[in-house]
Amino acid sequence: MQDPHPSPWHRTAASESHGAAPSRREWLRQSGAGLGGIALAAILAEEQAKAANARPDQGGSPGILKGVLHHPPKAKRVIELFMAGAASHVDLFDFKPELVKRHGQESDFGEKVETFQNGLGPWLKPVWDFRKYGDCGHALSEVVADLAPVVDDIAFVHNMVGKTGVHSQATLLQTTGFQLPGFPSAGSWISYALGSLNDNLPTFVVLPDHRGLASNGTKNWDSGFLPGQYSGTVAYPGTPSPIANLQADPRFRQEFSADSEAAALSLMEKINRGHAAQRADDPRLEARIRGYELAARMQLAAPEALDISGEPAHVLKLYGLDDVTGGAYPAEINAREETHIFARKCLTARRLVERGVRFVQIWSGNDNGFPRRNWDSHEDIRRDHGPLARGMARGASALIQDLKRTGLLDDTIVLWSTEFGRMPSSQGGLGRDHNPYCFTTWMAGGGIKGGVAYGPSDDFGYKPLDRENPTRIYDIHATLLHLLGIDHKKLTVRHDGIDRRLTDVHGHVIRDILA
Amino acid sequence: MIPRSLFRIVSFCLTLVIVLQGTSHVTAQSEKTTSQSGDSVFSRVIAPALESKCLRCHNAARARGGLSLADAAAFAKGGENGPIVVPKKPEESILLEVLAGDEPAMPPDDDALPPETVAAIRSWVESGAEWPGQAKLVDKSKRKQPPHWAFQPIRAVNPPDTAETRKSWGRNAIDRFIAAKHAELGFRPAPEADRRTLIRRLSFDLTGLPPTPEEIRAFVDDPDPKAYEKLVDRLLDSPGYGERWARHWLDIVHYGETHGYDKDKPRPNSWPYRDYVIDSLNADKPYGQFVREQIAGDTLDPGNPEAVKALGFLSAGPWDFIGHAEVPETKTDGKIARHIDRDDMVGNAVGAMMSITIQCAQCHDHKFDPFTQKDYYALQAAVAAVDRADRPYFADSDSQARYERSRAEKLALIRKIQATETQIAAIAGPELTRRRQAIEAAKASAKPTEHPQYGYHSTIEPKDDAEKWVRFEFDTPVEIRKIALFPAFDNFAGIGAGFGFPVRYRISAQFDPADPKAAIVIADRTASDEKRPGIDPVAFEIEPGKKVRSVTISATKLAPRQNDFIFALAEVGVFDESGKNLAANAKLSSYDSIEAPPRWGLKNLTDGLAPSHVNRPEAASPEKLEAELNQWLATVIPADLLKAHNTAKADLAKQESILASLKPAGTVFAATVHTGTGAFTGTGANGGIPRTVRILPRGDVNNPQAEVAPAGIASLGFGSDLFAFADPQNEAERRAALARWVTHRENPLFWRSIVNRIWQYHFGRGIVDPPGDFGRMGGVPSHPELLDWLASQLRENGESLKALHRLIVISATYRQVSTGPAEFAEKDAGNVYLWRQNRRKLEAESLRDGLLAVSGKLDRRMGGPPFQDFVIEHPEHSPHYRYDLADPNDPATFRRSIYRFIVRSQPQPFLTAMDCADPSIRVDRRNESLSASAALAQWNHATVLALSEAFGERMSQQPGSMSDRVSWGFELALGRLPNPDELAGLTEYTAKFGFARTARLIFNLNEFAFVD
Repeated sequence: MQDPHPSPWHRTAASESHGAAPSRREWLRQSGAGLGGIALAAILAEEQAKAANARPDQGGSPGILKGVLHHPPKAKRVIELFMAGAASHVDLFDFKPELVKRHGQESDFGEKVETFQNGLGPWLKPVWDFRKYGDCGHALSEVVADLAPVVDDIAFVHNMVGKTGVHSQATLLQTTGFQLPGFPSAGSWISYALGSLNDNLPTFVVLPDHRGLASNGTKNWDSGFLPGQYSGTVAYPGTPSPIANLQADPRFRQEFSADSEAAALSLMEKINRGHAAQRADDPRLEARIRGYELAARMQLAAPEALDISGEPAHVLKLYGLDDVTGGAYPAEINAREETHIFARKCLTARRLVERGVRFVQIWSGNDNGFPRRNWDSHEDIRRDHGPLARGMARGASALIQDLKRTGLLDDTIVLWSTEFGRMPSSQGGLGRDHNPYCFTTWMAGGGIKGGVAYGPSDDFGYKPLDRENPTRIYDIHATLLHLLGIDHKKLTVRHDGIDRRLTDVHGHVIRDILA
Repeated sequence: MIPRSLFRIVSFCLTLVIVLQGTSHVTAQSEKTTSQSGDSVFSRVIAPALESKCLRCHNAARARGGLSLADAAAFAKGGENGPIVVPKKPEESILLEVLAGDEPAMPPDDDALPPETVAAIRSWVESGAEWPGQAKLVDKSKRKQPPHWAFQPIRAVNPPDTAETRKSWGRNAIDRFIAAKHAELGFRPAPEADRRTLIRRLSFDLTGLPPTPEEIRAFVDDPDPKAYEKLVDRLLDSPGYGERWARHWLDIVHYGETHGYDKDKPRPNSWPYRDYVIDSLNADKPYGQFVREQIAGDTLDPGNPEAVKALGFLSAGPWDFIGHAEVPETKTDGKIARHIDRDDMVGNAVGAMMSITIQCAQCHDHKFDPFTQKDYYALQAAVAAVDRADRPYFADSDSQARYERSRAEKLALIRKIQATETQIAAIAGPELTRRRQAIEAAKASAKPTEHPQYGYHSTIEPKDDAEKWVRFEFDTPVEIRKIALFPAFDNFAGIGAGFGFPVRYRISAQFDPADPKAAIVIADRTASDEKRPGIDPVAFEIEPGKKVRSVTISATKLAPRQNDFIFALAEVGVFDESGKNLAANAKLSSYDSIEAPPRWGLKNLTDGLAPSHVNRPEAASPEKLEAELNQWLATVIPADLLKAHNTAKADLAKQESILASLKPAGTVFAATVHTGTGAFTGTGANGGIPRTVRILPRGDVNNPQAEVAPAGIASLGFGSDLFAFADPQNEAERRAALARWVTHRENPLFWRSIVNRIWQYHFGRGIVDPPGDFGRMGGVPSHPELLDWLASQLRENGESLKALHRLIVISATYRQVSTGPAEFAEKDAGNVYLWRQNRRKLEAESLRDGLLAVSGKLDRRMGGPPFQDFVIEHPEHSPHYRYDLADPNDPATFRRSIYRFIVRSQPQPFLTAMDCADPSIRVDRRNESLSASAALAQWNHATVLALSEAFGERMSQQPGSMSDRVSWGFELALGRLPNPDELAGLTEYTAKFGFARTARLIFNLNEFAFVD
């Protein structure tokens, strides 16, 4: 389901700017219209019980591993930031002085190169200047300089290679480990393995770009042959229906009151129990009753988790969300709007992981259409990458700082990914063609060694320096699972006679980026 | 150099956990030629260890990983990565690395070598790893697997006839098989369910719809001892049967109505295939014929339009539009896309129909089953000429036959012309090339100049009768003297000049916007079809003194594109007396526009850019050069060859005019020999000659090995004679052979597979589980004799699926209640041995159809284009399928769910929450979500809420007290009357909150979601 409203700021200024957050208790009372009424008492009781606990993640239910991990984990949760359309490594994170030197000269790759649109113009220097930051001295493009405060937390992997320059297959490869639709996404595998930290929220939450879904649509967070509950739950924070079906469809909502909902649930449960009593050998009947109870809890917990209005001013400022009421956005793509869009998702992600969501996936970029609100800058890197990158850098930087501030960064992995990179030559004009032969991915947090640049690319960012030993998504996934306490070779599911795993038949843990 | 690894196709199978393949390659001579090197450590310890643990895979014939340990030379050479031993350096020797340690990599499927043996090997390496010169090793592994059940012929079995099976229970032969197992394992059958339960079970099972209270009453009260059999026949004969079982079929063939992948474009012409499936099932078409038509109906039954619609089977799955339309076959990405395309077709035609995981063999020989890479690519070769695209079908068999004949003839003629052309070129030599190049050069100079901005382009229509317009409005009245339409140029579909120029159109102007009637017509070309212009502008002079506020150009008959229709123009000029073009100052609007910059956009109409001629000398006209070429050819080419060539060309033109003259009734998105433009050319221009298919080690499209001819799977041992072709270039023969091979009488997998699937849909679990893999890694049949007996019944009795259904549902096994004794559940939690029936959760479609039926909204019209329960936004690039914008009360969406338009990238949210099939993958069995999100969807989704209102309204209008009305609704939905507690609770609730909310509550009950 998509956001029916074009603006991510549909929720009006009034509710955004009202000072203090309502207390949870008050909030629960306000949101009585829903299944929630019936669960109110239970949740309040539980909340009191939890008050003694420092962490909210005491609830939940174990996944297939039943809490018995393959080795002690370094991390418990993951936030993935996915740049749809293929973000340019050479303009953001992977500085290539050689391109500056040879800017405008006819490009020569020393071999025949196949590119997607046959776009091989002259060498094109990075569109923005690079400067070194942090103790590690990693060079960042000016357009992502907002990441400077956290650059010492980041491990960059500069020698990523893909298998194809076609967006759809390449995106699936990064999200599921396979080029074809039908395989479970990394978030689904992890949810399946580790289960939930909080029964009242979905285990795997996806925050898509509200302007459209990237290539493959929902297949990027599908559970494939794993049970359906491990699919990503899509949320559009800040809209009237942030999660589909969480409340009655808005066109009908006025019909339902807390009373009617509570009475309905109670009566339904009674009739269902009578029905189940005559069929005592079927656990599914009880499971379905339980599903409605959980639904009621989710109705209360999810909107609260997605609502950033109670965040203190200094946090909003950190994310660049202190000026969201500062007037309408221009029609053209612009950094302020992109910052609000992306950073809001980052802040929401922090709230979600704080409340026990296992895997959050944030998308930047829609469907590679026009006008570009995606990273597929064939025409003009500066025009599209500029605002998108500024928004991304601000949000990602704030997220890492905020996770650190709340102590969550120790066991939360932030993974930045994209489906492939872009060519070091121009496409004849101001844009760059696809480069599946080399791109950058980075990770931070939970068990990752910061300030590392792993696996250099060649002088042009065209291919890995060591072509025989590139990094592939299997290695990233293997590392991710390793940090979560899972041996990627042991997490398998038999499907149609084959023991499937996230890393197919590949994957090595990248030891060099482990803390 | 691009590293090959970069472009490997997804490899499909795990390498580390290996169960051994059946036959091992021990040769007869090998038995006595073991090591003869005396009493050394090598012959006493090492050779026997290698022979028992390693030689099965690493022998001379097989050499997995390139490594053979058969003799000294092979050992010295090592495997793919070179020698496996560095003499005197055990720590650097791969051999020890893979054999030693806690979890050694080798042998992969067997116990590790004992530590003392590993130690012996270590010291042997330390001492130099000397292989006695004459020592030859052979496989002496103990484990030889028995033949695998699934690949054996179907046995002739008689139903068991024992003291137990002769006892009272049982209605037909099926029950005797079940009873025999019961007796063997200590189970006993459950009693027969009551009639109320049976009719609900049967109705959902056979038609996917709930029974009405009237139907229930009639059945419950029917005194006829054959009442049950009558009911079964009625349901099997009802059209709902085909609608219900077609959905099962579409799950297996992963049918969808968008391409999936990037952009996920709609396939508006998929539905004739869906109707074909429904109609075929309702007609009880013999099963073999049903499947043969779907692989090669066009050639096996060329006069049958249904057999053409059937080809939607091969194209049912996802298709990478970008990988075909934007990337040519010469590029790596294009090769990958086409490889995946054929793989998907093989998956449907062979994997799904035979329940085998043949697709595992695309990177390497199948690790568990006797399927080689060569087998796999031989199957790809059978579909190597076809692509997925629209193809026409006709209203009557005569036209269909004429079309298919002409089409086959046309392809044959193209092939013939190519052959004569090759001969002519050989004789005529370089002079021919030179002259042709001159003609091409002349043609090129006849092409217009091109700009990146092509012009304006309307949205695409399936028919030409949509009216579309562009309008120019002026702030103040202006006097206009001339209007010029500049045709667009686009080589799409080979059209070129005049692309999208309307076939009929009207130009009108308006003086007074307040008075729309006062328009004047500047040009009216709506009466008859206009010839497509070149690129020269079409201009209309206007008498002086006409002041206007707006000019509108309306296309009343759209221009053909490729099986669809559009309106496009490069530029419009609106000139005043001085010749000044006023158009650029006008406000532009249009009926619609695809807005795909820079190429197409409304504003391009006034950008001053239109195609124009490049100057060329008169002497070099292509027509003139062509004539000269033909004169010259007549002097150098033997007359009979030239005649054959020219006759074939003339015949081709004749066939093309026949093809153009036949008016199709519609088009179906199907497997077809495609003739296209741009990157997606297909094989049509080559006369449908199949693409060359080669073995691809590790699925790497850039490392093609030996070419493979079409064939079946060799080890299965039947039907090898089918793949001998009269004309190897005629692709239709290949598909026909594949169709006959898959459906072969002697193909045990084909018959067992469908019987097992049908059993699964009736019982919730197959006799073999999972239903998609009958290989060694799959399950074994719980009742192998029953499986074979059923397969024989199907094969020998007219291949009637309805007869098979009847046999199954008539059985006492099927009619059992769905509860059983706790002690049986302890022994057999999954009810594999059917000591009761299985309670079933309603599938997504049955649930939705049930909601529609109970609420009185169900529209039972069959067939035709699908309903869309979404709104498409941004159709021009990547369509956004907006389910949230659809009206939940739109009656157009009240048809059965089988008629829903199925989107791949953005699946229908409600049905997805209810576990409908994912059209991206073969779904052999539905998931059953009982999660919170499923509960939320059933409780809150607009569909449920809208239908709850309708159902509530229906209840409220019944006669009697509130409690009577509630009771009526309860029975309608659940097939039984409420008990007093239930009725009291619901009536009280209704009094407080109304019927609509009661309806919603009933729709959410467990009893509504499950069928006993």
